[in-house]
Amino acid sequence: MSSLTCAKLILFSIAGVVIQIIGLSLFVYGFFPVKPALSGISGTESFRVPRCNSVHNESEGDLPPDQLKALYEELSGIHPFDRLILMVIDGLPAEFVLGKDHQPPPKALMEAMPYTQSLLANGVAIGYHAKAAPPTVTMPRLKAMVSGAIGGFLDVAFNFNTQALLDDNLLGQFFSVGWKMVMLGDETWLKLFPGLFMRHDGVSSFFVKDTVQVDHNVSRHLGDELSRDDWHLLILHYLGLDHVGHIGGRNSILMAPKLLEMDEVVKMIHTSIIANQDNGQGRTLLVVVSDHGMTDNGNHGGSSYDETDSLALFIGLKNHGSEHASYTVNTVYQVDIAPTLALIFGVPIPKNNVGVLILGTFDSFTDEQHLKALELNSWQLFRLLQAQLPGLSCENSPCESFIDDQGPRKSKCNGNLENMICCLYLNATVLHSSWKSKNVSRSYSRADYSSIVAAYYEFLKTGSEWLSRRVTDKPVNLLAFGVAAMLLSCLILSCLIFHVCKEFCIRQKKNFDLVDGMSNWNLDEAFILGVILIVIISMGSSSMVEEEQYIWHFVTSTLDLLLLRKTMQSLPVKKSFRLYEGTKKIGFQVYSIFVLIISGRTLRGWHQGGVNWTHLPDVSKWLEMAGSNNVKLVQLVSCLLIISLCFFTLSVLGSRRKFVLVVGFTFLVFGLLVLQHIMIYQENTIVQSSSTATLMVQIIFAVLGITPIGTFIALPLVMPISISKKHSSHDSHTSTPDPIEIQYKYPLVELKDSLYVIGWTYIGYWCLLQLMLQQPVNAVPILLILMQILASMIYSSYSGLHQKQWVEIAAFYYLGMAGHFALGNSNSLATIDVAGAFIGMSSYSTLLSGILMFIITYASPILFLISMVMYISVKDTSYLLITQSADSGYLLKIMLALPCLVPMGVNSILLTAYTILLLLMRNHLFVWSVFSPKYLYVCATTVCVYIGVSSVALTVIYSYLVLAFRKRMQCSS
Amino acid sequence: MKANATTSSVKFSAEPEPEAEAEVSPSSPSISALEALSVHLISGLGLGLALLLANNVYSVNLVSHPSLTLLLISVIECPIVILLYSRHRKNREECSYLKAVGRGLVGLPVGALVNSLGAIALGAPVGTQYFLTTIYWSLMMSLFTIVPAVSVFGSSWKDWQRIFAQTNCRPIGSLDFMICLPAHGAIIGAWLGAWPMPLDWERPWQEWPICVSYGAMAGYLVAIVVSFSLILVRASFQHDKRD
Repeated sequence: MSSLTCAKLILFSIAGVVIQIIGLSLFVYGFFPVKPALSGISGTESFRVPRCNSVHNESEGDLPPDQLKALYEELSGIHPFDRLILMVIDGLPAEFVLGKDHQPPPKALMEAMPYTQSLLANGVAIGYHAKAAPPTVTMPRLKAMVSGAIGGFLDVAFNFNTQALLDDNLLGQFFSVGWKMVMLGDETWLKLFPGLFMRHDGVSSFFVKDTVQVDHNVSRHLGDELSRDDWHLLILHYLGLDHVGHIGGRNSILMAPKLLEMDEVVKMIHTSIIANQDNGQGRTLLVVVSDHGMTDNGNHGGSSYDETDSLALFIGLKNHGSEHASYTVNTVYQVDIAPTLALIFGVPIPKNNVGVLILGTFDSFTDEQHLKALELNSWQLFRLLQAQLPGLSCENSPCESFIDDQGPRKSKCNGNLENMICCLYLNATVLHSSWKSKNVSRSYSRADYSSIVAAYYEFLKTGSEWLSRRVTDKPVNLLAFGVAAMLLSCLILSCLIFHVCKEFCIRQKKNFDLVDGMSNWNLDEAFILGVILIVIISMGSSSMVEEEQYIWHFVTSTLDLLLLRKTMQSLPVKKSFRLYEGTKKIGFQVYSIFVLIISGRTLRGWHQGGVNWTHLPDVSKWLEMAGSNNVKLVQLVSCLLIISLCFFTLSVLGSRRKFVLVVGFTFLVFGLLVLQHIMIYQENTIVQSSSTATLMVQIIFAVLGITPIGTFIALPLVMPISISKKHSSHDSHTSTPDPIEIQYKYPLVELKDSLYVIGWTYIGYWCLLQLMLQQPVNAVPILLILMQILASMIYSSYSGLHQKQWVEIAAFYYLGMAGHFALGNSNSLATIDVAGAFIGMSSYSTLLSGILMFIITYASPILFLISMVMYISVKDTSYLLITQSADSGYLLKIMLALPCLVPMGVNSILLTAYTILLLLMRNHLFVWSVFSPKYLYVCATTVCVYIGVSSVALTVIYSYLVLAFRKRMQCSS
Repeated sequence: MKANATTSSVKFSAEPEPEAEAEVSPSSPSISALEALSVHLISGLGLGLALLLANNVYSVNLVSHPSLTLLLISVIECPIVILLYSRHRKNREECSYLKAVGRGLVGLPVGALVNSLGAIALGAPVGTQYFLTTIYWSLMMSLFTIVPAVSVFGSSWKDWQRIFAQTNCRPIGSLDFMICLPAHGAIIGAWLGAWPMPLDWERPWQEWPICVSYGAMAGYLVAIVVSFSLILVRASFQHDKRD
């Protein structure tokens, strides 16, 4: 078997990583819908033709609401209504009101809503099936209704510090023209629009079993509100019907009474509207919508017809009833509600709206107003298309070029997308402008008018469909290519690991006439591989994704027990336990495994993570209940313990050497600095916000960053190099029995010593940094994780031949994941510690706080990964050395290959498997709420593995090169 | 979850399965297939009897009253296991029947301690409301795992290593199987039984230690069947060889 050279190995690994990065970015780009992004808020420019080089006039944004309102009214020329009542009935399928397939709804449902049906029958109300986009859950649907945009996942994910809707939306537009708003019902509105409502009474949708009180709480204010005239927009959000569905499904016996109750509300509002109108208090429009439908069982969230079939009912657009009432299928999209309402009330259409003015809502308006509305809608959509399609953008605008040479005729549109959209747009505008000129001379016909409307709709529908498809459709090629690339890189990395392991195994066999059992497939090795399988399978179930911490804690403690069993295996059969070499070794191993088990169990009990069992008691809750003083005490104690533990670890190296003293002393100083900071500032938010505290924190950050890097650079340069054969071993336990010749030629001992110190620096300073950043209650878990790391160092330094290297490194990875969850993280974005990310920030910076957030969240995996430096130093790999074949490349390979490849390999298997699972789950009910956040975590773990592994590789290679160079210089001189 | 449970169980059970042709160790007393059957049958039936008794006489079951049922199982299994296995003790010359019974009785709490510590290490809750159930559960586990070995081998470290850590040589001899397989079966069953606990199915049996006990009992019974059939296979194999 040919052995890979070091250069080849590095080359292949880098190739694998690069392919993985490419695959991952392709997949992420393809899978997560990118939101059509136009920033800002529509203003008066939306009443002008979209042109290039249009002068942006920002000044009107500062107009007072009254003037702005007057300006909009003048510009739009549409202003028939004064007030709007938006009644949201959560989960009402449009089928209940409008029927299905040209058929009226069943008689029972007709009778359940007599008033609404009568309104529909005499044409006062116009109803539509408003198709909702998945995920059919309340908050995204409300966003779609008020902003006209189909939200992407990533913008939800990256807005985790606020739930407020920051994009341009109807309510914001209404607010800017000085509308007073009142909200009664689901408190989701309050989360979306904090501070916008003049009066509100939010109800929680938490008590799903309650179907009566939840709606009563909305209706109790209704009479009062209807009699007032100080509001312009009244939002009513009834949750009861959704709750009925969740309890008993579509055909629940509670459904008909609930519909009747809703009908009563409609009747009450409509009567009051008519009364107000007769009193001359202005016209009010009632819009009854539902956010989504429900399946037969009453569930929702997915994309079936039953779930997406939501209602849009406009009551009061026409006063005069027309006889013809038909149950034609008027299917529109839910996003169409936003532009329609914006146009009816004469405010600018929200910027990212992809909806289209609903056909039939402008029937009672003049032709001129209708065409104006269509024109405004087209302008808005055209602007959005310009932002999305580079071909339409201002630099190479094809539309401008053939504006002039086209007469008022309708041309056939084909060709590529840009040309088609352009052509359709021009058709409509040209027809409209010729109509306008005719309008002056009053020589237009009805046919002209309808052809213009048709032309506008052709453009609007094409543009809108393209835009919404862009958001919801997944580019198959991109996804397939991404997955294929990830599979390829996974294969490359696994092959490399396999190859290296096999080579080491053969080498080992050659060196020793083999110890029995080494070639056998051991239980712990099988279990390590089994864990990967367990984790992959568990990721397919949404509840297991939510409770992933149980898996990691369970498998790590099982692994600990298996290691204990393995150690017991080699315990000699002796009645009296005499202290000879072997027993002492095993004794140390047993102690370190017990440390692992105990601290692992404590870590598990620290935070009751996940979703379903968070209410159960845990240590952190108990501590927090005991008061902040106790928490602080515990934090200080663990901080002291961490510092002293670090010192103990360093002192193993022998305290007489100068560089050890220097490194230790700096650590002590900075440790005390952190301790003092914790003592004075934390918990004390008033002081913390002061500038001195911020400066202090910034100084500590800088110091904690610079010192390990300084150590990493300087230590190999100042490390004393021994030329004599008698070497001072760095660790009394791990005397390295390297062949003398190699030792003479290569700086092995020096390398091990310097790696030990550098690795120690990394671990120590990382812990100090975490003590600064993490919540006070997390100080003990940091201590426990540090103890776990040191215990596994002791274990692996004694294990030698008995434990294969890849098993230990994979176990490190698993322990890192378990620690990640022990620090209170979970697979939901809600557990990210946002507050910690602003420690030491004097001004808001997304990048810096993002980095801090990453450091806080991935504290444990990174700690375990960078402790690989120390692991390389303490793990005895000298049995792999053969004097003849040893050269620098081979030495580096022995030390570096597995510690770098195994974490990357394990991670790439998990990443690839989860990517494929996510693809399979793309229509799952919880794809956006459970699986996608988990995918973000998996991606971030991948980044964290890259960072950890590359810093380990960099450290070892750099130290080796510097030391080898110095050694050669010294030898030659 | 079920799927991965089976895959890992395959890995586990692959380990303790011994080769059939291993020869009988001189130190362990030979045991005939009939005796093995009776030991297994009685201990298995004892378990069934305990469950039946709990259900019909006291009208409790594992889901409704876990601690009571577990106590009942331990009380009924305890004499059966200790008395049965002590009959097959090692070194009959040095060790009387009573002594074997005595060390079995001592082994019961020690084994319970080991089992409960193992369970807690793997994440069993430690609250006071779980205290009694954990004790009863670990008594039951001790009867499945440690007590038979104590009764038979006493404190012979070499035998313990052979049974539970497979050092030097795999378990050999029928008696080894009879102790090793049910013990491993109970442990693996309990390990697998813990998997549904964190899921959000909202079933009453997801509480500690109900599904773990079910898993342990199921594993124990399956291992008994496996152990007995292995002994039968070995017996017929040796019979053929003698002919």
